Amino acid sequence: MKMATHFRLCVLAIVLNVVCSANQDSINNDLVNSKVERKIDISSHIVKITTSITIENKGSSSVKSYLFVLDNSLQNKLSFIGAVSKSRDEEKKLDVKLTSVANQKDKSFYRIELSSPLGSGKTTTLEVETVFAHVLTPYPAEITQAEKQFVVFNGNLYFFSPYKTTTQSTSVTTTSSNIESYTRTKPVSVSDNVIKYGPFEAREPFTEAELRVHEENNSPFLTVTSIERIIEISHWGNIAVEEHIDMRHSGATLKGPFSRFDYQRNNDGVSSIKSFRTQFPAAARDVYYRDEIGNVSTSNLRELEDSVEIEIRPRFPLFGGWKTQYYIGYNIPSYEYLFNRGNEYGLKMRLIDHVYDDMVVDEVTVRIILPEGSKDIVVDPPYPVKRGSNELHHTYLDTVGRPVIVLYKTNLVEQHIQDFTVTYSFQKMLLLQEPLLVVGAFYLLFLIVIVYVRLDFSITKDEAKESKLRISSLINEVQDAQDKRSALYQSYDDAINKFKSSKDATTFGSSRKKINADYANLTQQISSIQAQLKAEASDAAEKIAELQKLDSQYKDLINSAITSAERLISNKLNKQQYLEADATNTTKREEAESKMEALRAIF
Amino acid sequence: MSPQKQDTLLKLMILTIAAILAFSTRLFSVLQFESVIHEFDPYFNYRTTKFLAEKGFYNFHNWFDDRAWYPLGRIIGGTIYPGLMVTSAMIYNFLNFLHITIDVRNVCVFLAPLFASFTTIVTYMFTKELKDAGAGLVAASMLAIVPGYISRSVAGSYDNEGIAIFCMLLTYTLWVKAAKTGSVFWASLCALAYFYMVSSWGGYVFLINLIPLHVLVLMITGRFSHRIYVAYSSVYCLGTILSMQIAFVGFQPVQSSEHMAALGVFGLCQIHAFVDYLRSKLTTEQFNLLFKSLVLLSGSIMFGAAAIATALGKISPWTGRFYSLLDPSYAKNNIPIIASVSEHQPTAWSSFYFDLQLLVFMFPVGLYYCFSKLTDANIFIIMYGVTSIYFSGVMVRLMLVLAPVMCILSGIGVSAVLSTYMKNLDVSTKNKDKKAKKTDNTYPLKNEIATGVIMIMTSFLIMYTFHCTWVTSEAYSSPSIVLTARGGDNGRIIFDDFREAYYWLRQNTHHDAKIMSWWDYGYQITAIANRTVLVDNNTWNNTHISRVGQAMASPEDKAYEIMRELDVDYVLVIFGGLTGYSSDDINKFLWMVRIGGSTDRGAHIKESDYFTPQGEFRVDKDGSPILLNCLMYKMCYYRFGSVYTEGGKPTGYDRVRNTEIGNKDFELEVLEEAYTTEHWLVRIYKVKDLENRGV
Repeated sequence: MKMATHFRLCVLAIVLNVVCSANQDSINNDLVNSKVERKIDISSHIVKITTSITIENKGSSSVKSYLFVLDNSLQNKLSFIGAVSKSRDEEKKLDVKLTSVANQKDKSFYRIELSSPLGSGKTTTLEVETVFAHVLTPYPAEITQAEKQFVVFNGNLYFFSPYKTTTQSTSVTTTSSNIESYTRTKPVSVSDNVIKYGPFEAREPFTEAELRVHEENNSPFLTVTSIERIIEISHWGNIAVEEHIDMRHSGATLKGPFSRFDYQRNNDGVSSIKSFRTQFPAAARDVYYRDEIGNVSTSNLRELEDSVEIEIRPRFPLFGGWKTQYYIGYNIPSYEYLFNRGNEYGLKMRLIDHVYDDMVVDEVTVRIILPEGSKDIVVDPPYPVKRGSNELHHTYLDTVGRPVIVLYKTNLVEQHIQDFTVTYSFQKMLLLQEPLLVVGAFYLLFLIVIVYVRLDFSITKDEAKESKLRISSLINEVQDAQDKRSALYQSYDDAINKFKSSKDATTFGSSRKKINADYANLTQQISSIQAQLKAEASDAAEKIAELQKLDSQYKDLINSAITSAERLISNKLNKQQYLEADATNTTKREEAESKMEALRAIF
Repeated sequence: MSPQKQDTLLKLMILTIAAILAFSTRLFSVLQFESVIHEFDPYFNYRTTKFLAEKGFYNFHNWFDDRAWYPLGRIIGGTIYPGLMVTSAMIYNFLNFLHITIDVRNVCVFLAPLFASFTTIVTYMFTKELKDAGAGLVAASMLAIVPGYISRSVAGSYDNEGIAIFCMLLTYTLWVKAAKTGSVFWASLCALAYFYMVSSWGGYVFLINLIPLHVLVLMITGRFSHRIYVAYSSVYCLGTILSMQIAFVGFQPVQSSEHMAALGVFGLCQIHAFVDYLRSKLTTEQFNLLFKSLVLLSGSIMFGAAAIATALGKISPWTGRFYSLLDPSYAKNNIPIIASVSEHQPTAWSSFYFDLQLLVFMFPVGLYYCFSKLTDANIFIIMYGVTSIYFSGVMVRLMLVLAPVMCILSGIGVSAVLSTYMKNLDVSTKNKDKKAKKTDNTYPLKNEIATGVIMIMTSFLIMYTFHCTWVTSEAYSSPSIVLTARGGDNGRIIFDDFREAYYWLRQNTHHDAKIMSWWDYGYQITAIANRTVLVDNNTWNNTHISRVGQAMASPEDKAYEIMRELDVDYVLVIFGGLTGYSSDDINKFLWMVRIGGSTDRGAHIKESDYFTPQGEFRVDKDGSPILLNCLMYKMCYYRFGSVYTEGGKPTGYDRVRNTEIGNKDFELEVLEEAYTTEHWLVRIYKVKDLENRGV
């Protein structure tokens, strides 16, 4: 047991060592940059530097990695770095990792893993893309509404590298041809909006020289100072996304008044931001755009083929130094992003969304709210992020709360729109918990009402009410009995008719006997209720008595009908006479019946 | 099902439907616009509710607000009726305790409709006490959609009145119940309901005068009994003690003259009861002697006490708003700040029909039925009806108090008419058709007349429904913070300028910036822009408002002195000249002049200076030069002189006043334009700092 622990510790120590050494590199002097072409794009508010490097291995052993170093002036402004190897038509993405070099602690090194080891004497071409934010400084820093915005770019004229560089050239793409000034180190040429430097021959490692460009740049200097992105997953088929965005115009600040008249009339304020476009996934629906004081009514939504584009107009145009806040959200169906095998779920979606083209995001907080009861949560971000401690979120019908994963990241640009993965396990049965909760709550409510209504909480007895209830139930019984009795009258008629056609006296006698017995029963029942009612409700009892009287009349009429029918069969009565007797009998019976109906109804 | 059960089910269903209708008809504003707080005062209530929900009751109670009335501040806890905020904070906390995650704003927005539903149910119970369940149902259904009440309780109109009407009717119901039964239990409940009412609206004064008036009338008509004695004594004592627990009310119930009637009637009750007791023990002659001397003695003592108390200042004289209730012209002549509020204006006749429609005609019918069967309870509703009709004529906003009683009396009326004629309908079933109908020779065409009356009544009720729905959707569902207009292609144009400006202030000014504006916008600025204002809709300090009025009415250099004195950073004005929004600051300007000139320091500001010699208020070339050069004019029309607003008209054509402005070309010296909204509705100016010396 103890041995095992020791062994584990040893393994851990070794692993740690390996990790540490992995982030410590040394400069291989055998490598030479034989040809470098740099393209510096300062046409928007971010600086994109694309460096195409041809490496030559002049040493004897093969080389696996290449070190890339950032210019000293730019090393804190880096947002994104990526490298591809270029061989003929093929492009291959390479791994880039932050590393350090002994004795060069003040510089930021990145190790680029080559796709295949570079043999002695061989060459290969890399393309390194770096994106920097907040590098262009407005100069002058304050402008009036009518003025245009000028910015300064300060960089390195040469390729900053730990290796020797044989030949290199640099081109700077500016926004427009209006270039106020630029470093005139020869050879240099300017055509329209491109400044070309070089070629420069044979520079030593870490050579620096000033490169300064002062140009007019009215592109929107919009900076998202923070985004809080909330992704809420529902296993009922929906994912809700909401982003709380703080943004600022980080260009030259507005000096003096803002004149709406000039703004509307002369269309000045060219560096101000009126609106921008945000793109959401194509399946996004129920898009809303609000801020803390309500709906922002100035926005347009367009559904494109592969995305939903929303034109966002802040409540007011953003001038230099002005800021605004808003939040925006949408729903997307979960089947596009949520996958499962049994109880194991995997969520794969963008860590951040597009806010506007060439966006700059200073910091992002992503909160992923998983369904209640999720366990074994594993997060796999596309690039290193800081993981906050898990939180709990309570909303509709939650009991223990939903687990929330919190991720932080700073300095993001468009290249960071990449997918992350979260896997977790979730018992499918838990899906029923919330509906059952509602069902249970209603069940309980109804049960309580049922029990409450049936229980008597009064301390005194309400005699009148109880007797009223009793009477009404007795009357109900009488009515039932009476209904049955009128049905019996019908059966008498049927029996007579049958007897007249079949002339079968025995069958008639037996059926008559049966009906008679039922009839006597019902009549008995009614009279007993009548007796009961006499004490409590005399008027109802009287009515029943009347009913009974009518009934006996009716019964007599039936009896006479039977006798006349019997007489007809035994030919004691001719047909004519019978019909007459029957007609009078029927009218009398109808009369009695309607009287009884009326009596029954007014109970 | 037995008839009783059917009856219960039917009542329950009608009442439920009425309650749901009451809620849903108030949602027009949310559907047409959004879930947003309306108008001015609700923003303050919303802000305080948020504070209460976040910080708890004690912090709320001790809250000193430094965002308003700079530099004086305002003690919020002691100067508001907290009932509304406490109610919504409780609902909010309860729902969130159940993990129903709803935010404070939505609780506030939907509170008024919710309480309208409750009011519907209470109306049913009240009318049931007065007449019967049938009348109750009719009254409840009418109340659910009556525009006079909806005008103050649509979703988003988060104001005291929203819950106060519920409290008021609840108190009345319990009072009638107490008066009918003479039970201490109902009287105590009534006192509790009264406490809730006091905590939520200043209009409780109406209640505490109406109930004593009822008792007084009962005494005069000889209906005074032990029941009334028990009910009133309990309600008055408990209610007064409870009402004094509200910090804002404090000792008013025993000191101010508004409450003296209640105290007087309470004393009278004791005397009346005592006299009744004596009468039962003494012979008539002895009694008469005693009675006369007693009346003389107690009368002189009470008069003396009242006179001394008034002289010593123990009983405060009646406040201005109360005077203006009794004498409509009082405010106009004496307190411009009260008169300047549009909802304090006397009611136009047409608005009675607009707000009540059918009820106007059915009200006397209900009164007739009440008189024809006079009971203690009926006397109460008659008193309520007659007094509230007077008050609603004095002040537009008291239409709200009238609407419920109109519904109740009309409910009684309609129900009585219908039940009278329904009986006469011949609803014989088919199988009896063959039998000859019994005809009543003393009442020819009984069935036909009954059918006619019922059909007329039904069509009236249907028309009432349509009218109410129309009024609600067209007139009372606009949040007034977002304006709309019909565009050329029949689409809706939204003017969201107010929020645009407030949000600009919130985002792009210093956190402690002081904003000067006319007091109407104070609550909105503090709530939406979260900035400090000088004056707001509380209007408690007339001199301070007057100072702002003086700044607006003065020329730039004088105004600059006032603004420096008050540490103003930004000035905000509402200007409708470009869009044609008529309730802008130029149209309110005369009130600023009047209020500005009403104090000593503003004595130099005279209303007549702002008129043309002919006595007209004009902003064109003929306008008074003082007007054309004052700060308000300059702020509103700065650079407006170069704008084309309408085709075929010169630049600087004001679409509200329909004139070309008189002073077009000027520059601001002490201010600079800081922000103007898209449609120029709100203009914000920054006060420049003092110039450097020697420049």
